Amino acid sequence: MTGKQRQRLLGTVQVSLILAAIFVMLVPIAWIFLAAFKTHVDVYQLKLFFTPTLENFGTVFDDPYRLGEKLFNSTIVALVTVVIAIPIATLAAYSFSRFSLRGETLMLVIILATQFVPAVVIILPFFVMFRDIGLLDTRLGLILVNLAIVMPFAIWMIKGFIDGIPMDTEEAAMVDGSSRLQVIRNIVLPMAAPGLLTSGIFCFIIAWNEFLFALILTNKDAVTLPIGLALFKGEEGDLWNLLSAAGIIIMAPMFVLALMIRKYFVQGMTMGAVR
Amino acid sequence: MRDNTLKYLLVLPAVLVVFATAIWPLIEAARLSFTVGRLNRPGSLDQYLGWENYTWAFFEEPAFWNSVWVTAVYTVLTVGLTTILALGLALLLAPGGRLRSAAQTLLILPFAMSPALIGVSFRFMFNPEFGLFDAFFGVVIPPLADVSWLADPTLAFAVVVMADVWGWIPFLTLVLIGGLASVPRDTIEAAQVDGASGWRVFRDVTLPQLGPVLAVVIILKAIFSLKTFDQVFMLTNGGPGTATQTLSHYIYFNGMKYGQIGYSASVAWLMVIPMIFLTYAYAKFVFRKA
Amino acid sequence: MAEVHLKNLTKRWGDFIGVDDQSLHIADQEFLVLLGPSGCGKTTTMRMIAGLEDPTGGEIWIGDRMVNDDLPKNRDVAMVFQNYGLYPHMTIFDNIAYPLRVRGVAKAEIGPRVEKAAAQVELTEFLHRKPKALSGGQRQRVALARAIVRTPKVFLMDEPLSNLDAKLRVTMRAELKHLSRALKITTVYVTHDQIEAMTLADRVAVMRHGVIQQLGTPDEIYNDPANLFVAGFIGSPAMNLINGSVQDGMFVTTGGTRLVKVKAADRARAILGVRADDLTVHEAGQGDIDVTIYAFENTGESTLLTVQWGKQRVIARGDRHLRKDQDDVVGIRLNSDHLYLFDPETEQRIDV
Repeated sequence: MTGKQRQRLLGTVQVSLILAAIFVMLVPIAWIFLAAFKTHVDVYQLKLFFTPTLENFGTVFDDPYRLGEKLFNSTIVALVTVVIAIPIATLAAYSFSRFSLRGETLMLVIILATQFVPAVVIILPFFVMFRDIGLLDTRLGLILVNLAIVMPFAIWMIKGFIDGIPMDTEEAAMVDGSSRLQVIRNIVLPMAAPGLLTSGIFCFIIAWNEFLFALILTNKDAVTLPIGLALFKGEEGDLWNLLSAAGIIIMAPMFVLALMIRKYFVQGMTMGAVR
Repeated sequence: MRDNTLKYLLVLPAVLVVFATAIWPLIEAARLSFTVGRLNRPGSLDQYLGWENYTWAFFEEPAFWNSVWVTAVYTVLTVGLTTILALGLALLLAPGGRLRSAAQTLLILPFAMSPALIGVSFRFMFNPEFGLFDAFFGVVIPPLADVSWLADPTLAFAVVVMADVWGWIPFLTLVLIGGLASVPRDTIEAAQVDGASGWRVFRDVTLPQLGPVLAVVIILKAIFSLKTFDQVFMLTNGGPGTATQTLSHYIYFNGMKYGQIGYSASVAWLMVIPMIFLTYAYAKFVFRKA
Repeated sequence: MAEVHLKNLTKRWGDFIGVDDQSLHIADQEFLVLLGPSGCGKTTTMRMIAGLEDPTGGEIWIGDRMVNDDLPKNRDVAMVFQNYGLYPHMTIFDNIAYPLRVRGVAKAEIGPRVEKAAAQVELTEFLHRKPKALSGGQRQRVALARAIVRTPKVFLMDEPLSNLDAKLRVTMRAELKHLSRALKITTVYVTHDQIEAMTLADRVAVMRHGVIQQLGTPDEIYNDPANLFVAGFIGSPAMNLINGSVQDGMFVTTGGTRLVKVKAADRARAILGVRADDLTVHEAGQGDIDVTIYAFENTGESTLLTVQWGKQRVIARGDRHLRKDQDDVVGIRLNSDHLYLFDPETEQRIDV
């Protein structure tokens, strides 16, 4: 075999491997998408061709499942969590990025570390406290604990964005006559806006997908979508067509959001440890 | 206002939030771990009994050691498999081009999926009657044709690992692609001109320069593997028996199902200890540049 | 318009000394250049004048006001940054207008003033673009326009030309000079480029290690360097520095060659400084000393001869029509009117 032939063969092998990888990555998702449009009967056969139906999406919003309430809870909880977290994180991130504070490294390490504390550790005291003050099964309670997981991401991610804004511009504004707060409002916020939006979306996805806190803190009124999945366990086992429809409602919006900010996903998750 | 005051005011709200939502629960969990701590027994949350919860976990509870073992094996397997597969995939996809960048985009999807949903999806895929993967493995490996995956301790464990690896490959791949992109092109080309084969270029030039990124990825994955809960809960709920009961699941079960808050808090704190080491290692990489 | 006084100004970061107890008086309407290699403290000095850096000690006076405790916005200075510091989310018009807006200048007044400033730097047609759509030279002009749109007490310019390509730098340098003469505003200008310093400055302060080595007009700095550092830093090619001693009124190289008469007392060690232009090239045997050419370079406007002189190499400038080759032998003559002697210990100039 000549070098050129070998190269061509290698290229073919690579393309096949890539296609196989895409296939393995997408099949479980695709399978859910298909099942969501199948009737109860079709699910139980490995059918690729069937008459699609939208019936499942109607059923999940009806009694007794009432997925609409869960959708509402998820939206409110994730949204409010982000709306609280991003401004607070932005102020802190700005300060960490631009000034040297006493104990700055320690603070940053602790903030980094809180992300790694197992959620199950955090939730035990909160469960006890919320039981005593009546915050169990409320959206407010869920929002408060969600801040625990969202905050470190938000601070680190936004700090990364602000680090990337040249200092020159801010100094120019200060010499031009701005106070520090004017600089933040007129210069930093507009320049960091895409970064803030990205961080907000990132945190929204995390809060939306959050499972353990909601599992422990909610049981009826404040149940979120991921917990709602448990509803579709019928007497004769899982109701796969309904589970799939609910699954789409959970993941489809996140797919759209994730694709919007895909460039920053890696940066957000690694908190600046990579690149 | 002078910057010297302002800079502390700016971080104050964030520090308060982090303290209230993360530091306080850690301290309170530590306190609870020394109490009787029964949810259904009023007053027991302030009833101290020293190290008894810890000694109980260590010496009287095989289930604790089981979950430690499950978590350890789970972590080693998922970290190893995910890293190797993701590295391979990253090498395949790094060169770019239409197919490869499309694949990179698609990789975001599993990563945006809720882990709980990944659990559901794999339960679906391995359903003995109509699961696609169940059918697939039945054809490829005939002895597995008639098994009920989630009912067999070993196979259920394998499925849980598979679901985890499936869910994390995309993220690790994307990080490693970023790492590969930052390996200077000219060092690779120099090695090629010097006559190194593809494999030698990878081993002698690419891999050493990828080292720090690889380390970050492995530490991060280890942290998340140790904490695993969502998929396990949805996929096997720790079963069959306790074959797939991770530490997080064990803590959840004792705390919430049996109401033993004090005991589960002590196990939770035992779990924090390896996290401290991993976080320390991770922080070293984060602050390396600074 | 104002003078600037720096009194015993010091900046320290831990053990590192950025600016070491320096005093400097900049006259009203003077164009003062702070010149030096990177890390010499010139930028730090400027940033302390702007208020972007707090001094560790000493006082900064602008006009008759001590501004140490003033925020940058209250110092009434305008600054041009090395990377321009343009606001990327604002149009050119808004960029230039910003210093006026933030100071509460009446809306009706802003338009004409921005347009006037833009016209002065020939940016009128770009006012509605964003900085991203402009070339490096145009961005530089925006930064300049933003500085001149007000009449500040002091202009501060931090290596404003260093990000431009060589050709554009020469054009902008001339424009800057023209503009500064027209505006008559006290200016502090930081650069590491000696040509910029020589061409623009009324006076130059050469800095090293946080200390001003010499303060003087470009002429004085070039023709009358105070010490070895200034002598070696100013001029291109750099001044030749030859080790030797002074014996019986002659400079003797370490190799033992009795080179040239100098008016100085005998000393065991001395360094002779002579610029390439003050070494004239002659045919072999017709100079003070015969040397072998190490490298011959033709720059077009003149020729440069690097010659081997004992153990040292020195550079002489030859006529543009001179043609020699490597290893040729030529005679070199020293222009005894422009010789400098330095003490190798103190690095200070010894009167010749």
